[in-house]
Amino acid sequence: MSPHYLIKRLLMIVYTLFVVSLVVFAITQVLPADAAVMMLGENATAQALDALRQQMGLNDPVWMQYLHWLTGILHGDFGQSLRTGQPVGPVMFEALGRSLLLACLSIGLMLVLAIPLGVIAAMRRGRLTDMLVSLVSYAGVSLPEFVTATVAVLVVSDWLKWLPATGYVPLTENFLDGLAHLALPVCVISIILIAHVSRMVRSELVDVLHTDYIRAARLKGLSGSRVLFGHALRNALLPTITVVALDVGYLLGGIIVVEEIFAIPGIGRQLIVAIQTRDLPSIQAGVLLMAATYSIVNFAADLLYAWLDKRIQYG
Amino acid sequence: MVDLLKRLLRTPQGATGLILITLVFIVVAFGSWLAPRDPEAMSILARYKGPSMTFLLGTDQYGRDILSRLLIGARATVITAVVATLAGTLAGALIGTVSAYLGGRADEMIMRTIDAIMSIPNLLFALLIVNLLGSGSVNALVAVAVAFAPGMARITRSVALSIRKQDYVSAAIARGESSSYIILREMLPNVIAPIIVETTIRISFAVMLFATLSFLGLGAQPPATEWGLMISEARQYMHISAGILIWPSLAIAIVAVGFNLLGDGLRDALNPRTGG
Amino acid sequence: MSKPAQNSVLQIRNYSLDYLTVNGVFHALRNIDLEIAAGEILGLVGESGSGKTSLAWSIMRYLPDNAREVGGAIRLRGEDLAAKSPAEVGRMRGKQISMVFQDPGTSLNPTLSLGTQLTEALRRHRGLTKRQAWGEGEAMLARVGLKNPTQMMQRMPHEASGGEKQRVVIATAFACNPQCIIFDEPTTALDVITSRQILDLFLDLQAETGVASLYISHDLALLSRTAKRVAVMRRGEIVEQGTIDDIFRAPRQDYTRELLSAVPQPANRLVETRPSYQAKPLMEVENVSVHYGRKPFLSALTGRAFKRFTGNRAISLTVQPGEILGIVGESGSGKSTLAKAMTGLNPFEGRMTFAGRTIAGLADMDRSYRKDVQLIFQHPDASLNPRQKIHEILARPLKLYGAGDGGSLSHRIGDLLEQVRLPRTHADRYPHQLSGGEKQRVAIARAFASKPKLVICDEITSALDVSVQASIVQLLLELHRKHGTAFLFITHDLNLVRQIAHRIAVMYRGDLVEVVPSDEIASPDRADYTRQLIAAVPALAGTSF
Repeated sequence: MSPHYLIKRLLMIVYTLFVVSLVVFAITQVLPADAAVMMLGENATAQALDALRQQMGLNDPVWMQYLHWLTGILHGDFGQSLRTGQPVGPVMFEALGRSLLLACLSIGLMLVLAIPLGVIAAMRRGRLTDMLVSLVSYAGVSLPEFVTATVAVLVVSDWLKWLPATGYVPLTENFLDGLAHLALPVCVISIILIAHVSRMVRSELVDVLHTDYIRAARLKGLSGSRVLFGHALRNALLPTITVVALDVGYLLGGIIVVEEIFAIPGIGRQLIVAIQTRDLPSIQAGVLLMAATYSIVNFAADLLYAWLDKRIQYG
Repeated sequence: MVDLLKRLLRTPQGATGLILITLVFIVVAFGSWLAPRDPEAMSILARYKGPSMTFLLGTDQYGRDILSRLLIGARATVITAVVATLAGTLAGALIGTVSAYLGGRADEMIMRTIDAIMSIPNLLFALLIVNLLGSGSVNALVAVAVAFAPGMARITRSVALSIRKQDYVSAAIARGESSSYIILREMLPNVIAPIIVETTIRISFAVMLFATLSFLGLGAQPPATEWGLMISEARQYMHISAGILIWPSLAIAIVAVGFNLLGDGLRDALNPRTGG
Repeated sequence: MSKPAQNSVLQIRNYSLDYLTVNGVFHALRNIDLEIAAGEILGLVGESGSGKTSLAWSIMRYLPDNAREVGGAIRLRGEDLAAKSPAEVGRMRGKQISMVFQDPGTSLNPTLSLGTQLTEALRRHRGLTKRQAWGEGEAMLARVGLKNPTQMMQRMPHEASGGEKQRVVIATAFACNPQCIIFDEPTTALDVITSRQILDLFLDLQAETGVASLYISHDLALLSRTAKRVAVMRRGEIVEQGTIDDIFRAPRQDYTRELLSAVPQPANRLVETRPSYQAKPLMEVENVSVHYGRKPFLSALTGRAFKRFTGNRAISLTVQPGEILGIVGESGSGKSTLAKAMTGLNPFEGRMTFAGRTIAGLADMDRSYRKDVQLIFQHPDASLNPRQKIHEILARPLKLYGAGDGGSLSHRIGDLLEQVRLPRTHADRYPHQLSGGEKQRVAIARAFASKPKLVICDEITSALDVSVQASIVQLLLELHRKHGTAFLFITHDLNLVRQIAHRIAVMYRGDLVEVVPSDEIASPDRADYTRQLIAAVPALAGTSF
């Protein structure tokens, strides 16, 4: 992999964030007929509206507003929350950290379950096990997170009383209790990921098992396990990296809903609150952070993929 | 058309999907006639009842018949999802085809911008747009359509590019055919099939996305009957009667699975080599 | 003949194989009788659908779930292979019988190094340690003629050429000293010159180790130079079997005769006409170059050097009216690139003159040019729109160029089909309902619909069976006689082009090496590359140049 490629990718991330900033700025600040009214509501006094317009610089021409905002961000200043008056940046970053914990646990759980499921389904293709896994996959992909979450709370917290329904306890405070509170949200998020990834792994593995080189390996007299693990799996799992990276976008969306339902103070929850209270700076910061996370994860995935697959010439 | 249906019924996915979606469309079209009771009729005495002869699926927190509400609610959920997906596909397909046709630098720029927009999760994008336009079913429809457009643009472009590379397109160019002939008669019939498959599968995502928006209070507004809304309202009362939660969830799942399966079935049926 | 001879290694007696399909039982192999002795090479020839591949799988015991062995036996050194358990079969493969496949590009795992794929067989069957196996592997690579074996062991498949990869595959097959090796079209996916080298390598190794070899090929000429005995297969049965001499000089079966006559032989000239070289050329190509590649977006920023890839470098040639100009070269020589430039599919630099009119770029190629210059592609599956019926495909050129005489559209379409020896009813079918040969005929009909002056054939027979190829060539020559069309016949098959072309142009890596009359192609005055090419092409045994 050449420096040329790395620079190209990094520039791409910059461009992405630039476009996202334009989009989010346009949707939240430019397009609304009167952003101040939107934020404070119809019944706000003229005074309050004017004060807000001053504070946010809403009377300036659009491009100036954008530049002002952008330069602020490049200096690490995301503005002040209209709701709490606190600086947005630190709050958002802290929330992001909690969300990332949730995300990482979910991805971890997914990897542990989805890959074996996919492999088993591929090996037992066409038979009962495969159909069952397939069925579970379809179901998993067809249930929105809010449904799964709500049902999960109903069954696990209300009926079985195994785990707490909502709330968040930092792991640093009380590890076990913290985990107990995270368990349900993590499972809910993972279900969709597991369904999707196991299906992908199955289909990739089935394709790989039909290739000429697997046939050649078998006809070389190699043992079954050598063919499966040494040849087939390593080739089938490679594309999985890309799929998981792309799924992170979906995961981030799911996190929003899950945090809302389980009352976990991550970035998703912050965004919902911000949207409901029309807290513009928070919305803008939240969206940017999400987009940045997605871009960085994909970049890392690309690097990992290129490092593992020597065929790819990233010139 | 009959031909297509026959081919669809050959695979288990196609058959199941077709049956499910036909049922769904019957419910959407004739829901109000099929509903045994008035979905709006509240009754304090009849609250939280389980399934019975009068209320086949039980009643909700206001004593309303769940089955009737489900049947009426199908309209809101399904039609919105279908229209939103079609709108998003149309917009996306236009962008994608133009980008593929332009090729070169323009194509690269357009696609990189699309990629950038797609780094915002679908749900978040929809939330932002609803935030801009205000809550409501129609606005949520627009939000879903706009959120889907970039993804469809990508897919259309990649399909268009792969078709463009085929020899029969080269043969048409070598014959000196006009661009419009090539796009309309040589490329489009081959591009439409994968797009139809993708669109069908997307409808299932649209159903879920729209239900999520309603759940968050940003889509359909009460007292509308919409499945996501029903679930959101049911949360407080679900420990009293689980049915309020379970039945709408199942409904969403069935519709989403149905469109998913139908899409898979169409994939085989529309392939001239394997389907015909 | 039921007891195996003393040194018989592989013996197949009365073997039959069925496949259970949705459409009923398919008899893939019927009463196969074959025997290969130690040190012997048995050639197996057949066209697609003959069952030769099924036979190979049966011997390797690699049958799909829907296969049913109906009768007979396959014996390796007297042991019945059908009686072996899956574990025994696993141990046998690679050790007692191994196989060399057609395409080294797909039969090697792209993510493992060549050394790993070679040594894993050694470690499995000969119980060597990693170190020992690696050393042994290097020795084997040296034996198969690879320079820098140490380096080659570390390389990944995509870093090696087709010929190098095939050598590695052959090394793997021979590594464990098996009793018998099956070679399934090992040179078909390789260039002519590389093919020859691999063939020589095979003969060398075979003579040295004395392994019993089953050499499957569709290429009779190649087999005649390789095997001592040959079996001809057709539709699951062995039609005829015997020594090379017997088969080739005195074939007993009609099918064998058919197959033999379809093999292109340079001495068997199919074209009698001679174009006039005094007349003005129909098509003149002057210094035409084609370049690929675009400057990357950020190259200015990152200061990266930009290399353009050259498909054609200053090509100049002429085609006379009614002439058949053959263009030969290996893959990457630029033959297709030139064809695409001439039909406006590639932008080019330089100049072309067609029937007196200058063509300097795509803009100059107007309707009348397109009408007179037609292109036929290699893969009939890809060149016919799968969603259009045949009558729509053929109606298009008729409508476009308005060759407007002779009745209604559908009547004229029927005429076109008849011209290429297809039934008129085919107009109602979709391409996937036709065979490969039939699809190619439709492509030819489409090209001739506008009554062109020049038809460019880009490897149009390379994807077809030998007998189908022969009939397509016959059709083309018939049309040539009838209409006096000039042809630019692009192919890698030297024997074929010597039969039908008036002059031959030889291309190599984007350059035009030389253009000579076909009867002078084998003369020792030719350029180095041309002579190499001629020397590498196998000619049917018993024939002379």
